[in-house]
Amino acid sequence: MPDHYLALIIGLLVFLGSLISVETGISVALIEITLGVIGGNFLKVTSTPWLTFLSGFGGILLTFLAGAEVDLVILREKAKESLLIGGFSFFAPFLGTIVYCHWIAHWSLNASLIGGIALSTTSLAVVYAVLVETGLTNYEIGKIIMASCFITDLGTALALSLIFAEFNAFTLVFAGVSIVVIFIMPKISPSIFKRYGERVIEPEIKFLFLVLFLFIYVAKLGSSHAILPAFVTGLVLSKNFSENRLLQRKLRIIAFAMITPFFFINGGMNISLKLLYQHLGLFIILFGVKQVTKIAGIYPLAKRYVPKEAMFTTLLMSTGLTMGTISSTFGLSSGIIDQGQFSVLVAAVVISAILPTFIAQKWFYPSHVTNGDNVDKTGNQNLGGEDV
Amino acid sequence: MFRKILVGYDGSEGAKKALRTAVDIAKHYGAELHSISVEEDLPHYAATVGEVLEAKAEKNGYFAKLNQEAKEMAAKEGVVLHAKVVAGHEVEAIVDYAKDHHFDLVVIGFMGHSKIYDRVWGSTSQNIARLVPCTVMVVK
Repeated sequence: MPDHYLALIIGLLVFLGSLISVETGISVALIEITLGVIGGNFLKVTSTPWLTFLSGFGGILLTFLAGAEVDLVILREKAKESLLIGGFSFFAPFLGTIVYCHWIAHWSLNASLIGGIALSTTSLAVVYAVLVETGLTNYEIGKIIMASCFITDLGTALALSLIFAEFNAFTLVFAGVSIVVIFIMPKISPSIFKRYGERVIEPEIKFLFLVLFLFIYVAKLGSSHAILPAFVTGLVLSKNFSENRLLQRKLRIIAFAMITPFFFINGGMNISLKLLYQHLGLFIILFGVKQVTKIAGIYPLAKRYVPKEAMFTTLLMSTGLTMGTISSTFGLSSGIIDQGQFSVLVAAVVISAILPTFIAQKWFYPSHVTNGDNVDKTGNQNLGGEDV
Repeated sequence: MFRKILVGYDGSEGAKKALRTAVDIAKHYGAELHSISVEEDLPHYAATVGEVLEAKAEKNGYFAKLNQEAKEMAAKEGVVLHAKVVAGHEVEAIVDYAKDHHFDLVVIGFMGHSKIYDRVWGSTSQNIARLVPCTVMVVK
């Protein structure tokens, strides 16, 4: 397919996606995946090396942003609860999916591992939107859920980077460079941001991109994946980010306008509706496996730490989107999973963003709103929101 | 007769009429006046927290400006307006807020949709009037 035709179609889909997102209030990522499906299945748009590379970079940038959005204060405050809930939220579906994919669906071990990682994720962003709408971000339950999501994300990044690494001399180079960069970034970044920030040519953003390209390069040398250093670098810079509103906004604008659309559109393009239809049963079962194992892993702990909202917490922790798509994309681009497996996994990930959220809000609405558990000093329920 | 009044305010023409009426009633009865603005279009199923945060910041900026103007308008009539911005569904948020803060009058602007929409879902004004436990005034 000629590059200029591909660029035109993708440009059109990306623009349409942003309009639909604004008009419907549905996240642009979900719309872009859907439009990618339409492009790949009905407009016969196929991926090219430049699109695949941009898409891969989009995934790394999203991981960096996920790390940068971690609230370290909440994480420290809720360390015990989040380690347990977030840890089980990762391991239960990870192991459950591997068992099902390898021993029952007869996938290869590596494909099963990708399946396990993709379906063990929790979408902090999906969860966060619900917490904002229900006014729970400042409550105990909101903090526990957010901190647990950070831990589950970390589990995904660790698994994806370590499990598939082919350990050799270059792996040591990858590890060494990553550790050094992660160590020096919080020290040198503030002065670079201060000296070169707030300019239209954006040296500070270019500096961050350079670091991510470096991770991608050394990860490739070490036959690993840059997701872990990208996430951890975001994490160590999260304090600088939260204090630098302008940098935060500029990076998000550049990411959402120019880079992440390639990731989601390309992800959608790689979903084959024909193969998904052929494996419809497997798609439903894998979605079920994710939900059942998430409930089995999280509910008992949620019952202990947030007893009144145990099912609400469990359902929110059962969502997935970005990290699940990143994991599946890694599997496909590395040749570990085929297009049919990719289609089934991404479809299960996307549906897990929608269904558990809907059920949680419809039937397990938090009691702080309905029962008056959080009453402010004036005797009124505090529904969240802001006085202006 | 009315001691605590809530007005739904989103900056629309209908809402502006409702605000003027609510200020007038609050002045007449010496009542406490509150407004509620609902941020409805935060992105669902977002890919990053940033997408939600930025959308919320944009809405907050929009409503902060609106509410500042509303406060100034009320102040000219000698009425203090307490403004609140919450995220959520418009009907649900207004009904919950009115119930939980024990208002005795809710004033809303008429929000018309197509006849088919209203027949299927009920209009926003109808749903608020049906669900709020106190007196509701719909200003046209």
